[in-house]
Parts: sequence; C-alpha cells; structure tokens
Amino acid sequence: MSVFVDITPDEHAVAAPEVSPARPWRGRLTRLALPLLSVLVFLAAWQLAAASGIWNKTFVPYPSAVWQAFIDISTTHDGVRGYAGYLLWEHLYMTLRRVFAGVLIGVTVGVLLGLVMGSISWVRSVLEPWLTFLRALPPLAYFFLLVIWLGIDEAPKITLLALAALPPAAVATTTAVVAAPVGLQEAARALGATRAQVLRDVVVPSALPETFTGIRLAVGMAYSSVVAAELFNGIPGVGGLVKDASNYNNTPVVLVGIFAIGFSGLVIDGLLRALERRAVPWRGKI
Amino acid sequence: MKFKSLVAAVAASALAVAGLSACSVDKSEQSADKPTIRIAYQALISGDLIVKNNKWLEEALPDYNIKWTKFDSGADVNTAFIADELDFGTLGSSPVARGLSEPLNIPYKVAFVLGVAGENEALVARDGTGINTVADLKGKRIATPFASTAHYSLLAALEQAGLTPNDVQLIDLQPQAILAGWERGDIDAAYSWLPTLDELRKTGKDLISSRQLAEAGKPTMDLATVSDAFAEAHPDVVDVWRKQEARALDVIHNDPEAAAKAIAAEIGLTPEEVAGQIKQTVFLTPAEEASAEWLGTDGKPGNIAVNLQSASQFLADQNQIPEAAPLKVFQDAIYTKGLPGALTE
Repeated sequence: MSVFVDITPDEHAVAAPEVSPARPWRGRLTRLALPLLSVLVFLAAWQLAAASGIWNKTFVPYPSAVWQAFIDISTTHDGVRGYAGYLLWEHLYMTLRRVFAGVLIGVTVGVLLGLVMGSISWVRSVLEPWLTFLRALPPLAYFFLLVIWLGIDEAPKITLLALAALPPAAVATTTAVVAAPVGLQEAARALGATRAQVLRDVVVPSALPETFTGIRLAVGMAYSSVVAAELFNGIPGVGGLVKDASNYNNTPVVLVGIFAIGFSGLVIDGLLRALERRAVPWRGKI
Repeated sequence: MKFKSLVAAVAASALAVAGLSACSVDKSEQSADKPTIRIAYQALISGDLIVKNNKWLEEALPDYNIKWTKFDSGADVNTAFIADELDFGTLGSSPVARGLSEPLNIPYKVAFVLGVAGENEALVARDGTGINTVADLKGKRIATPFASTAHYSLLAALEQAGLTPNDVQLIDLQPQAILAGWERGDIDAAYSWLPTLDELRKTGKDLISSRQLAEAGKPTMDLATVSDAFAEAHPDVVDVWRKQEARALDVIHNDPEAAAKAIAAEIGLTPEEVAGQIKQTVFLTPAEEASAEWLGTDGKPGNIAVNLQSASQFLADQNQIPEAAPLKVFQDAIYTKGLPGALTE
C-alpha cells in the first residue's frame, strides 16, 4: 500500500526556482506549459492510434467519439436525459457525496484510532493486526457481505468507502504520533505540561503533516474503490455508469466516466493540498 | 500469415526443447503442431456443456486442439471476438444484437440456438406487496441485472402491460444481490433467473415468465456464434461442431438424466438441481433449429433475425447504440449453410 506514497515533490521545492529573478518564465513554463503540452501530445497520439485503424473502435475510439459521448451524457438530447436518465454532473455529484460521507467517517475514525494507537502502546498491539488485515482486503472481496448486511441503497456503499479510507488515515497517524520528537515532549513535560497538554500542543502539531498525507492517501483509496462501491444499484453514480456502459461494450461512455473520476480526483487532491498548506504551514520545518 | 507460421515454428521448437529437457505439467493435451479452435463458453444450462464434458469435439476433431475458455458475460465474449481471440462463442441474444449493430459490427454469425428462456427466467413479485399483475408494478422498485436478457424481457413485459420504464423504479442488481435486497424488503419485484429465481419464488409470485414473452414474440435465447473468418476457412469444422451441438440437444430430450449429470459436472451444481433447471428451459430439437421460426434453412434465414433486430431496437431505445441495425444485417448474420441437412448425419 505504501507504493501510493506522496510522489509529488515538496511544494516549496517546486516553488523555489520561481522566485529566482533571473528566469521567472522558466518556473512558469514547467508548471503550466509542460502539463498542457503532455496533454496535447497525448491527444495527438490517441487520435493517430484511433485513425491508424490497427485497433477496433471498441478498443480505441476516436477522441471525437468520446467527446460526443461526453456531450450526450451532459445534456438532454432528443428527449433523452444524459445517461440512464441522469446527467453527468448528477452522476458525479452522487459519487462525490458518497465519497465525502465515506471519507469523513473513515478519516475521523482512522485519525482518532491513530492517535490512540500512537500514544498507548498496548492498544496498538491489540488493533494493529486487525487494521493490517482490513488494509490487505480488496473492497470487492467483502462488498457482497455489506450488501447482505446493509441492503442495496446508500449504506453499503458509504461503509465500503469508509472501510477503504480508514486504514491509511489510521496507519499514517499512528506512525506520526509515535515519531513525535521525544525531546520536545520531554521539554514540555519538564516545563510542567500535563499529558493532555503535551498531546495537544506537541504531539498533534508534529503529527499533523504526516496525518494529512494519510488523509490524502485515504481519499485516494476511497476514490479508487468507487467503481466497486457502485457495482450494485450504482446509478446514478460515475462508478455505476462505467460498470453499466462496459456491460454494453460502450467504450466512449466508459472513457468519459474514467476521465470524470480521474479529473475530479485531481481537483480533490489539489484542494486537499491547498488545505494542507494552510493548515500545516510548518510542514518540513520541525 | 507468414508471421503467424513463424510464431508457430518458434513456439513448436520452444516446446520441443521444453519437452526434451523436462516433463510438461500442462494437462490440457495441447500440441503445437495442430491448429487450435478457441471456444468461449458460459456456465449456462445448455448442450454446449454436454459437448464439453463428454469431449465430443476433441473426439470428432482429432486434428485440432480445442481450447475452452470460460466467460461470465456476453459483453466479455464480444470483447474477445473483437480482439480476434475466439472462433466460437456462447452469448445471450442481447449481446449478439449489440455485437452485430453499430459500432461494434463484430464479424460473427449465429450458428446455433443453445436454449430459449422459458420458466427459468421470470418476473416475480414479493409476497405482501399486493402486486398481482405486471400492471400493478407502477411506481414499484424492480431489480434486474442490466444489459442481460432478463432486462430485455422485463422491459418487454412492462411495455406489454402498457407501462414505460419511467413508471417504475428500475434497479441494476446481479442475481445474488437481488436475493439479498429481496430478503431485506428493499425491492418489490425482480426479473431474474435460476437458481436465484427459485429462492425468490419461495416468498413470491410469478407475474410473467420468459416463456410467455417468447410466445408473445419476444423470446430471449442463448446463442452460439462462429467468427466469419473461421466459418469461411473451415466450414467442415463448423459442420462437425453443429452436429455435436445437435447431438447434445438429442441427449437433453432423450436422456435428461445423462444431460443433467454432464452439465452438473461442469458448473458445480447437483444433477438434481440441473435437471430441474433443464425442465424449465426450452430446448429445441435439431429439426426445430432449422425451422423457419429459428435459424431457418440455407438461403432462407429464419425468424431469429427478426428477434435480434428487435433486441437491437431495444438497445437503441436504451441509448446504448446510435440506432438499430436493419433486418438485413441480422439475416446475413445467421449461419444457415447446409441447413437443415447439416444437423443430421
């Protein structure tokens, strides 16, 4: 699971060349133009691959076909509303709502667990095997049980997403709490701080950056479980849309769904990073 | 072709080396100096499984390797056909209609009707919901696996009763999830198939079955298809294959016990369960296969083309394809070569 670890270079490191007055355009070029260029190159390669005719249109549809599918799903056309009666944003909204609820529950429980596990070692010994067990399970493996127990509506989907989000948040928080600098803790104790005060003023602030990474991973885990969560009765929902369209070999719609999941994931991660910068400005400075 | 023979030569020499140096652990008895016939099958109650279980094809075609691959849905079989990985395949009438329409246009032909849905697929209403007819379903929650033959039948049943899909709440659930939702009271009715269907019937009431819909002109079928390229290159193999499938149908009709045993061995149910399912499914006789109602005869494609066209229209209504393909496309996609004589020795 640790392969998902934050690969984005540290924000400050990226920002550094930008402030150097000698070549201000250089930083901007790498930050804006290169990603744009890579998208353009990708689109061109895609168009060429589709036009070459080596592959069937079901495998490599034209970018224009995917765009048309996007337009069709996003609008009411010929009296048909979007895909399966819902517009794309409605599918996306339902999915995001589920992810939000699931992540909120999973991360809250996970961070609290992490705090307790990090500060009380016997709790960690008791809970760690369970957490590792849960972390190793692919959501698809147990989703059917959730359906039997919780029904076919929102409950099993949100539970699945919460279960996917919980372990990364808990593990990251535990590690961070354990790694809180002992020197600072002892100094605070020597200055007369109570156990609760040490936790609040020393441990939590020093653990927060790592916890945030855990939260970002948790959101990523929940997001990657979306299609599994919407396997049953998933419409409206982007995951349900992808699954339904693939049942009909409807590749353009599948691709629209994949792009919708991917782009919204990028946006959410960007928001989380912005939040992280605001909430933990001391990251990397202790 | 040159590249292929090169690959075959390399593979053959590699295998020869491997055979010299060590014993093979592969039990599938494939030898590289024989061409391979690639067949997709599904865990459906059909004669296909009898042919597979009794190794009739392997016996009848000793000069070929037979490679059976299990698939779980018609969509996957379609994908494999597009990828040119299959010669024969088993899939429902809905996926076939999808495959023959734009934009897939899969070059394959319907060569056999494995089975026609009868009482083994039905619309059942849960006890206590007060639903007694299809028309009572207005505003109720109905579950069915989307993109399946049951989905097609459900919409046909609703249409017959004067309801549109918007009058009811349709839910996409796989059979095992239907059972879970049913027992929790989350759904009021479901269109599903055996063995889940029998569980639903314990606490529910049949509203309409696929047999009734078939009689009303909306049959759903499990079909076997053969790729155009293969049928052109090896019409003799297709003939042998059809004969074996016809032989399996004879077994189903004349010796249902042996049929149940062979099928049970393939799909992990007991022979008794399979025997019950066989009774509820409609199996044609070889003579019926070649009748005007089904495949038709050489040069005169039968009524299946009309059914497939109707399934194509259904997909267009569902916005899964831009428009229904014309009847001609489906008539051309029925493999009638040598019918009716080819099915009997």
